[in-house]
Amino acid sequence: MARRIAIVEDEAAIRENYADVLRKQGYEVQTYSNRKDAMRAFDIRLPNLAIIDIGLENEIDGGFTLCQALRSMSDTLPIIFLTARDNDFDTVSGLRMGADDYLTKDISLPHLSARIAALFRRQDVLDQPTSPENLLQRDKLSLDIGRLTVQWNGIPVPLTVTEFWMVHALVKFPGHVKSRQVLMQESKIFVDGSTITSHVKRIRKKFIQVDESFDCIETVYGMGYRWNMQAGSGSNEP
Amino acid sequence: MSRYLKNPFGIRFKLVFLSSFMLIIPFLGYQYILEMEEYLRRGQEQTVLGAARALATALNERPELFDEGAYGRARQSDDLYVYPVFYQLALDDGTLVDWQDYQRYELSYGKNDTIGTQLNPHSPFARYYHYDDSLNFNLLVGEYNRSLYAYLKVVDDSVVYRSQESLSVHRNDFLQISLVTREGDFKRYVVSPRGPEFLYAYEVGEDLRDISALRHEESISGQWYEVPGGYEIELRLPLTMLGDKLGFAIYDVDNPQRRTVSSVVATSNVNDMEMLGSLRRPTPEIDRIVEGMGHTNSRIQVIDRAGRILLSVGDIQTATGLALSDEPVGSRGNKYWRLLEDRLLLPLYYQILTKPSNDFIDDLYAGGTAAGFHIDSALSGESVTQFRTLDDTQTRILEAAYPILADGDVLGAVVVDQNMNGIRTFRNQALETLFNTILGVMIVITFGLFAFASRISTRIRDLRNQAENIIDDNGRLKNNIVASRSSDEIGDLSRSFSDIVERLAQYTSYLENMSSRLSHELRTPVTVVRSSLENLGMVSQDKDSEIYIQRAEDGINRLNLILTNMSEATRLEQMLQTSEKERMDMAKVIMGCVEGYRLAYPEFELVADIEGPAIVSGVPEYIAQLMDKLIANAVEFSFPDQPITISCRVVRDQAVVRVANHGPLLPDEMKGRLFDSMISVRPQEKQKQPHLGIGLHIARLVTEFHQGQIRAENMREGEGVAVTLAIPLLAE
Repeated sequence: MARRIAIVEDEAAIRENYADVLRKQGYEVQTYSNRKDAMRAFDIRLPNLAIIDIGLENEIDGGFTLCQALRSMSDTLPIIFLTARDNDFDTVSGLRMGADDYLTKDISLPHLSARIAALFRRQDVLDQPTSPENLLQRDKLSLDIGRLTVQWNGIPVPLTVTEFWMVHALVKFPGHVKSRQVLMQESKIFVDGSTITSHVKRIRKKFIQVDESFDCIETVYGMGYRWNMQAGSGSNEP
Repeated sequence: MSRYLKNPFGIRFKLVFLSSFMLIIPFLGYQYILEMEEYLRRGQEQTVLGAARALATALNERPELFDEGAYGRARQSDDLYVYPVFYQLALDDGTLVDWQDYQRYELSYGKNDTIGTQLNPHSPFARYYHYDDSLNFNLLVGEYNRSLYAYLKVVDDSVVYRSQESLSVHRNDFLQISLVTREGDFKRYVVSPRGPEFLYAYEVGEDLRDISALRHEESISGQWYEVPGGYEIELRLPLTMLGDKLGFAIYDVDNPQRRTVSSVVATSNVNDMEMLGSLRRPTPEIDRIVEGMGHTNSRIQVIDRAGRILLSVGDIQTATGLALSDEPVGSRGNKYWRLLEDRLLLPLYYQILTKPSNDFIDDLYAGGTAAGFHIDSALSGESVTQFRTLDDTQTRILEAAYPILADGDVLGAVVVDQNMNGIRTFRNQALETLFNTILGVMIVITFGLFAFASRISTRIRDLRNQAENIIDDNGRLKNNIVASRSSDEIGDLSRSFSDIVERLAQYTSYLENMSSRLSHELRTPVTVVRSSLENLGMVSQDKDSEIYIQRAEDGINRLNLILTNMSEATRLEQMLQTSEKERMDMAKVIMGCVEGYRLAYPEFELVADIEGPAIVSGVPEYIAQLMDKLIANAVEFSFPDQPITISCRVVRDQAVVRVANHGPLLPDEMKGRLFDSMISVRPQEKQKQPHLGIGLHIARLVTEFHQGQIRAENMREGEGVAVTLAIPLLAE
């Protein structure tokens, strides 16, 4: 049975373009142009994944409201914000509402579908046992590439797909400096440097919530970031 | 602003200066009160003259009141004033108590009143060296029931009486009475007792010693009695005997053996009809009429044609003309006010005011006759008022004289006097009150104006300071003006300023946010285009169309980059608002950055000159972002094969970072605006990549977030530009 994706987007051209691409990839796509229509449909049946714009017709924050409603209906339903709003505040708000990812509309369609696929894969493998070849163990950190999950000291760290890919890019070669450009490519997003900075900040915060002494992601000013194996060495030596 | 000379006279000064014109008010008040005084004085003049006229009218056509006849001019002190006595006087009681309080009118005669006679011939000057005080007497003359009463209290160390057998009257102590009868005959009488006894008077002839000429005069009666230290004589003679002249003389014999007259004390020269003193009779009729005038609060005198004062009522010292209470009521309530007034104000006022005194002596009237221009005028038939100033006390006296007429002849004059102290005191009190009031009003007004002016100038200065603070050194709007809520012009000005600045701020903010908004608005259509292109790319398998699709996608990506850059500043601003500063070492951050740039820009030589530590409070990521922009800028404008210098120093309390590159100089007009949004000095041909002038704007945002300053300037030596960033050190 084809997976059902709901796109809630008030701009008809974008909505249909996205829908066409996703349909071609074999998904069943339902499109809604406003929150009310979407909610009416979701009340009857939940989709497998929802892509939501924040500004919906006359509701400036309609997407946020919709996201909250969806999250209350299902804890596991992947929700992606796809919006033109690229500021930090909306990003934080969106992720706090329980969205699995927050993407700006700069993102290319292949990147978008990769992300959707990743989210579905994460959902699929949730029940299956972890295969050892998908596991990346670095010190206290263990990455499950199949499930797109991260554990620190055995405690899961709730990272979004974008964040997971960033961490993955850093961790693949610990000690190597990854520039913002590289991180952008790896996480399949297309943003400016300061957005990467705030992404990294968020990742750090999430790890610190799990372990207060977390200090593995090091900023190399002017170059980028690197993963430090020795926890606690926070020097800025180049 | 500094181009204009600062006005040394502020609003405050001007207002106070203008208010000084109010000083004219006390001057006007002073003038007014002087006018009023003048008016009152005229009123008083009229009143006094009116009183004189009224009295004179009452006395007109009554010549009998002035029937004393033609008096001769006599030496004033020779005159005898006859006091009217209103009760019976006893001559035989041997005491003077029945004279009661008339005694205070008695006149003293002594050494200075000695005269030479046939019995003791001497020059008039002999008394100055020859005679002593052993003889003197007090005299009082009164009138009762058509008789003249008199007493003499004689002080004599040895009383020598006429011997029992002696017929002559001159060889002992005796009294001589001289008078001129109504018929004009000069008569002399002698009382020469043989001991204390009832008087037995003789009329004497040409010579006292001529016994044959002695003739008893019955109408003179009285008593002679001894008292310790002398003797007293009470006597009476009928008025019918008397003309207008009378004199008394006491002859003193001290040696009972030799019995020669040693000295004579007399009221006037009693042996010369011409030299004899005048008799001044009371005029009860006039008195009654004057009495009928009531209390006029002035001194009234009636004088006869000779200038002799027939009657004087009232006392010039108390004749103030105005009834005044000493203290103005009400204004003296408060103790402190009274203290202030007495200690400070009144002494000040009386620097310019004269305070009249009632302790003056009107020596003009000390004697029995009056003289003066006004009297002369009145006696020649013309009424007149005049002012006279007594030199010693500055007291002015108003005198009015009005002639008394009978059958067209001037019989005398009524003189009414008042001193001007009443009006002067009244004026002074009015001036005191005026000065007090005006002083108070002036103080209040001056302080009020000063406060008002201070308030205005403070508000204006406040507004000016606010206006100056609206824009910072770079010409950016920094603050707004707090719109005043007061409804006056300054409040209006403040509101319109505030309005202007607000609109300007809106416009500036619109400009600053335009890129962000534009990028936001453009993003949706770009997304439409891009997603369509991508869809097209998936659908089309055509080689030719793939090329076009690829080109279109390149264009879209570039457009996307532009949009991202455009909103970078806005995004950064939002992030800055939520960022928390931490303790960081600028030197380390800069060092790290430089290492990165060496990798990023291998074709440029980066010279790092970094001295640390420079501990500041900040966000390292943002500093790095700032450095990215500065280095990107420097690299872009650097001449090839020229080093880019990056230095970091601690200068006083600031961490100073300097990025210098050799390259084209900054145009002068751009220096201040270089860090503004969407300002770029790049020549068009250099624009390989899209540039929106956001980079240095971001640098400024970060600098401001760290409370620092940033400026770009042309290097002094060599061609190049240096950007200097100064961030305050963390206070430890």
